[in-house]
Amino acid sequence: METKLNHVVLAAENDIKGAQSIHELMNIKAKYIGKKSEIMDLMKTLGSLSPEERPKVGKTINIAKQNIENLLENRIVKLKEMEYQKTLQDSKVDLSMPGYAIGYGSLHPLTIVWREIEDIFISMGFDIAEGYDIEDEFHNFDALNTPKDHPSRNLADTFYIKDDVLLRTQTSTVQIRTMENYKPPIKIISPGRCYRNDRPDASHSPAFHQVEALVVDENITFQDLRDTLNTFVKKMFGNHMKSRFRPHFFPFTEPSAEIDISCVNCGGKGCAICKNSGWLEMGGAGLVDPNVLGKLGIDTEKYSGFAFGLGIDRITILKYNIPGLRLLYENDIRFLKQFTMNN
Amino acid sequence: MKISYKWLREYIDIDLSVDDLKDKLTFSGIEVEAVQQTNELLDFIFVAEIKEKKTHPNSDHLSICKVFDGKDTMQVICGAPNCEQGQKIAFAPVGTKIGDFVIKKAKLRGEESFGMICSEKELGISDKHEGIMILPDDAPIGKSLGNYLGIADTVFDVEITPNRVDLLGMIGIARDLSAQLDVELFTPLLKEYQHKDLATYAVEIKETNLCTRYIANVIEGVKIEQSPEWIRECLIANEIKPINNVVDITNYVTLEFGHPLHAFDKKYVDGDRIIVRNAKKGEEFPALDHNKYVLNGDELVIADSNKAIALAGIIGGINSHITDDTVDIVLEAACFNPSQVRRTSHEKKIFTDSSYRFERGCTEQVAELVAKRALDLILTFCGGVHTRTVDVYPNPKEEEIVVLRPSRMTKLLTLVLDDEKIIDYLTALGLDLLKQDTDALTFKIPAYRQDLTREIDLIEEIIRLHGYDSIEAKPEKEEITDKISFYQRRKVQDYFVTQGFYEVLNLSFSDPYYLDMLNIPANDYRRSFIEIMNPQGQASSIMRTTFLPGLLKNAVYNFNHGQENIKLFELNKVFFTSDKKLGTEKWVISGVLSGKIAPIHWKNKTENINFFYLKGLIETLLALFPINKYEIVPSDEPFYQVNLAAQIRIGKQVIGTFGKFDPKVAGKFEYDKEIFGFEIDFNECLKYMNKKGVVFKEISKLQTVSRDLSFIVSKEYPVQSIINDIIQCNAKLIKEVIPFDEFTGKQIQTGFRSISFNILLVPETNNLTDDYINDLINSIIDKLKSKYHIEMR
Ligand SMILES: [Zn+2]
Repeated sequence: METKLNHVVLAAENDIKGAQSIHELMNIKAKYIGKKSEIMDLMKTLGSLSPEERPKVGKTINIAKQNIENLLENRIVKLKEMEYQKTLQDSKVDLSMPGYAIGYGSLHPLTIVWREIEDIFISMGFDIAEGYDIEDEFHNFDALNTPKDHPSRNLADTFYIKDDVLLRTQTSTVQIRTMENYKPPIKIISPGRCYRNDRPDASHSPAFHQVEALVVDENITFQDLRDTLNTFVKKMFGNHMKSRFRPHFFPFTEPSAEIDISCVNCGGKGCAICKNSGWLEMGGAGLVDPNVLGKLGIDTEKYSGFAFGLGIDRITILKYNIPGLRLLYENDIRFLKQFTMNN
Repeated sequence: MKISYKWLREYIDIDLSVDDLKDKLTFSGIEVEAVQQTNELLDFIFVAEIKEKKTHPNSDHLSICKVFDGKDTMQVICGAPNCEQGQKIAFAPVGTKIGDFVIKKAKLRGEESFGMICSEKELGISDKHEGIMILPDDAPIGKSLGNYLGIADTVFDVEITPNRVDLLGMIGIARDLSAQLDVELFTPLLKEYQHKDLATYAVEIKETNLCTRYIANVIEGVKIEQSPEWIRECLIANEIKPINNVVDITNYVTLEFGHPLHAFDKKYVDGDRIIVRNAKKGEEFPALDHNKYVLNGDELVIADSNKAIALAGIIGGINSHITDDTVDIVLEAACFNPSQVRRTSHEKKIFTDSSYRFERGCTEQVAELVAKRALDLILTFCGGVHTRTVDVYPNPKEEEIVVLRPSRMTKLLTLVLDDEKIIDYLTALGLDLLKQDTDALTFKIPAYRQDLTREIDLIEEIIRLHGYDSIEAKPEKEEITDKISFYQRRKVQDYFVTQGFYEVLNLSFSDPYYLDMLNIPANDYRRSFIEIMNPQGQASSIMRTTFLPGLLKNAVYNFNHGQENIKLFELNKVFFTSDKKLGTEKWVISGVLSGKIAPIHWKNKTENINFFYLKGLIETLLALFPINKYEIVPSDEPFYQVNLAAQIRIGKQVIGTFGKFDPKVAGKFEYDKEIFGFEIDFNECLKYMNKKGVVFKEISKLQTVSRDLSFIVSKEYPVQSIINDIIQCNAKLIKEVIPFDEFTGKQIQTGFRSISFNILLVPETNNLTDDYINDLINSIIDKLKSKYHIEMR
């Protein structure tokens, strides 16, 4: 009997070794230790043995069965590992193939710069004030101290809708409306689209974008104006950038100045862009004329203010070194694509 | 540190409510951590009279009393032997809680009892428990005991910042409050030493940098006994156990001035000599805490000619402390180096009230004050004769002088005060004005305020007393930014960029002819354009009312420059004439799309832009606001292809349209590609967006059920209408109905289609049974059969 069992175990071992799948193994299991297997048949004969023999023979059969089970178990572990290794092999791909994406567009460079300007001023505690593109003459000129016969009021300079309704030529209109509607302290910037009757060329466009700042509070001084502009220029263009003021005339500021910043191209050494001066003109600034404040009912003994205006289009073309305004409004995807990484 | 309100009133005459005093302390920089009422129980015990007393019929030690509390007469059973008719007693009515025990109506051996007559022990007044507490005959019936005895007190547990050593004493707190509240401060009058010159005594300081002053007062013939009640009360309020009159007085004075003292029994101080010296290595010191410490040699000790009798500033010795047998005492008031005290205390792990105080610093002048005060109290309450004062003060400190410039104060605080007010505040804190010049006030700083050394320290004191709240914040800047619009515009721009769109900017001018090219009829709102009086040409003669012509031209420009896949958007203003002088301006979001949805890809097939891609894009955009309740229905927009034009509608309001441009329009703009477009009124989106925000709802633990339903139905019925009807079958339960397959073909009759829906059921109260689900599905089928004549597959 033992020889018979040994044979069975040997045969099972052979079959198990040869099995290449879990499914195959299950069949082998049924064949050798399943209900209809030789071993089970032997088990059934135990009843006919004498009580002395029974435990001994039973033990022998069980050992044989146990052996087969162990062999099966080991093979299963081995097969699973093989399967796993195969999965790893099969999953090998060329990782250098492109990933799937819907594609990424871009904001317009002007929007990118616009937001950057807004965020710098927001971080300095400014609010964003917005107004109308279509304005009346009062808010665009009269309230800003512009003389009635000032050339900027001409049809050649300003687009008119009606006699006293026009396309705003600057966002100072928003400053006036803000001072009409809010009491000091006021600390705003007003970015927006403005219009002037200029023929489009590399440096002109009948519509353009401007950001103006207005601060009205107690104890506002010329130094606050310089500090604010200085901080803005450094945050916008880098810490090495300087700004300077040149005396100038604007109807609604007193004293008035034009703002220059270090040339973004040469950093102040002098180049073609800055016409070798090392400086670029950036906009206008000054302390708000007490006349302007007074007309709006603000106590000019208690309050003072400063204002300045900068061209967003100009900052954009300087920042990205874009040759002229034309590209900004052409909306060529090959141009816009370059700003994808700038978000 | 603890502040007893009752004790505090000994120094300043104030009558603030507990809350007010708490505020005053807090806003002068003394943080109140807890407020406790002492013996609150006494507020619920009342003075009452025993009107009648009988012996209990069933007991020989109980008596039946009739007690009158001013309103009612009640029967109370009492077991005390000393209760008699006519007595005023302390009565606890039914419901009073004494400790963990609540007094209830009870029956004692057959007789009812309504309340309890209390003993002093039960009330926590004393240890006396033999018999009930008998009150004087004139005690007012009905008044609460707390009120009558005046025992009730409030104790503030406060946190003192490390810089304010002076506030560790009651007088310091009182001084600060007196300055703040502008009330007079009463400090104890201190007599000069008048010793009888009877004893010879010596004090020797060997380490003058560790002990900067040592005052020893010798008092002979004191009588050790229990301290007066008021001293005991003060100590108990501060959780210090009364011991005997001498020790209690040293503790009392410590609490009063914040500077610790110690008393030795003179007969155990060998050689009538106090030596302040470093310990000897290996020297043993038996301390009051019953531990014997072996010293390393770097500790500072107080010694007599033979042995250490105290660890300086930390703990006294058991070999020299005051006992009931003490007759002559040596009273120590000294100054020890804070770091020395801290190091030894931490090294030996001995933490005492004394070490706590000396660690934080002490002043030589205050040592003298406490010496005088304690001497005074001992002579008064313990008797004896003051026979000698020895005061060793090797390096007397110079007075601190600080100059304050009121202009500097104003510059820092934006607070203007006249000189008189400033002087008032600072002199109330104990500073002496030495000189008053223009914008220069010279002050002498009192010894107990070592924290005041610079001008800025004085400025801080002034604003602290004047009140931080007196400096008003400037008027707030009004919010001018229209934040919702501002950030929503950025969000919309970013959304389109991540969907692969490029943002374009076109000038605001337009040509009315473009409106003709788009077939826009004469009565259309887009014809209400604003004309420019002095335009640069026909092409820029009006303000635009739609972005689509500009966007189409941008698309054509890019087609002509080799681009096939185009996704462009613009967010800006359009302008209309209106009854307003300046017309009406609106924000609009528009776009055009053509070519592939995504760039071509080797693995995932890229489809061409189609109506349903665009619809999904718009739906996601609306979800971004979010706008919840809208419909997308067919539109008659004249430039979109019939059947491929849709409008977004909220109620009757159309907030935008989208679709595929009609091929005929394409011809006019000179291109031959399929182009889709959309234009949405941003202002209307803001108007209808849900601004309420999200309120979290508990995630349901119930089983969500998903069922599919497929049927054939006529093409004339829009799927949205079928979905709405399905949801209406049980809107609470049916959370989503998603069509996931649409199918027409040979097997299906012309004009019909097969549609499959996935229906999601999310129960709110209890799990759904199969029967319930089946009934629901059947009711849906019945409804669809009758309304849409569906045929189940
Ligand atoms: Zn340059």
